Amino acid sequence: MTALAPELSDVHAVVEQVWSSFLGDEEPLLPRYDASGPLPADDVWSAAVSIHGGWAGTVTIELSATLAQNLTRLMLAMDDEPLDDADVADAVGELVNMVGGNIKSLMPGPSTLTLPYVAAGRAAHASDTTEVARLDAAWVGEPVRVSVHTTS
Amino acid sequence: MRALIIDDSRAMRSILRRIVSGLSFETAEAGHGQEALDQMEAGLDPDLCLIDWNMPVMDGYTFVTRVRANPAWRNVTLMMVTTESEQGQIVRALAAGAHEYVIKPFTPDAIVEKLQLLGLVDKGVLA
Repeated sequence: MTALAPELSDVHAVVEQVWSSFLGDEEPLLPRYDASGPLPADDVWSAAVSIHGGWAGTVTIELSATLAQNLTRLMLAMDDEPLDDADVADAVGELVNMVGGNIKSLMPGPSTLTLPYVAAGRAAHASDTTEVARLDAAWVGEPVRVSVHTTS
Repeated sequence: MRALIIDDSRAMRSILRRIVSGLSFETAEAGHGQEALDQMEAGLDPDLCLIDWNMPVMDGYTFVTRVRANPAWRNVTLMMVTTESEQGQIVRALAAGAHEYVIKPFTPDAIVEKLQLLGLVDKGVLA
């Protein structure tokens, strides 16, 4: 049986909308065609939200630590003040919350969205999930990966 | 005018604070619905609450029902600002007493437009 999955073009549209709304249009989110393996585990932040109900799945975001820190500074309107991990976790968590919430709206409902889980490093994935859509992109040269997983 | 921003994300509270501060609102913040209720019961008297839906401790929908159950707070304008975009949830929040509903992600202009519709910001003001 083929798992119901969002169209990659829809995932792309959601991510672009979130990106431009909160990080501006000056630097576009560009496709990243050279993405082969996962982002380096020692230089990455990751976050996930799960969706339960009419459709069950998980939306994850992985992004470089530099990108995570840059978007945190933008969202908090901070310049050179030092960031702590709680600030970065908060901003990355809100990012996956917005992406996940909007992907939820593309899928059959009604359904509920969990609070985000955030990790410094690569996130664990449940063994009963299958990746059904993946977007690799870059913002100001820094990589970000958005994946959608369905629950088997 | 005073706005109470209720969201578990500090980053989102910061974004909303910058928008409404630019519209001359004084601001207060809470990380979840119960914290917001505690502030209001302690005397904070907001004209406007900007409310996320999914939060720990007390979600935004419950907060709306609790505010609407208290006649002392009947003049507080309640605006949901959330990623929850299913039609059923929007209807549920409005039926519970929310005045407006903004879906994240939003632009500052979208917030201003809603506040203009609610009569809390003069027409022609840009964020």
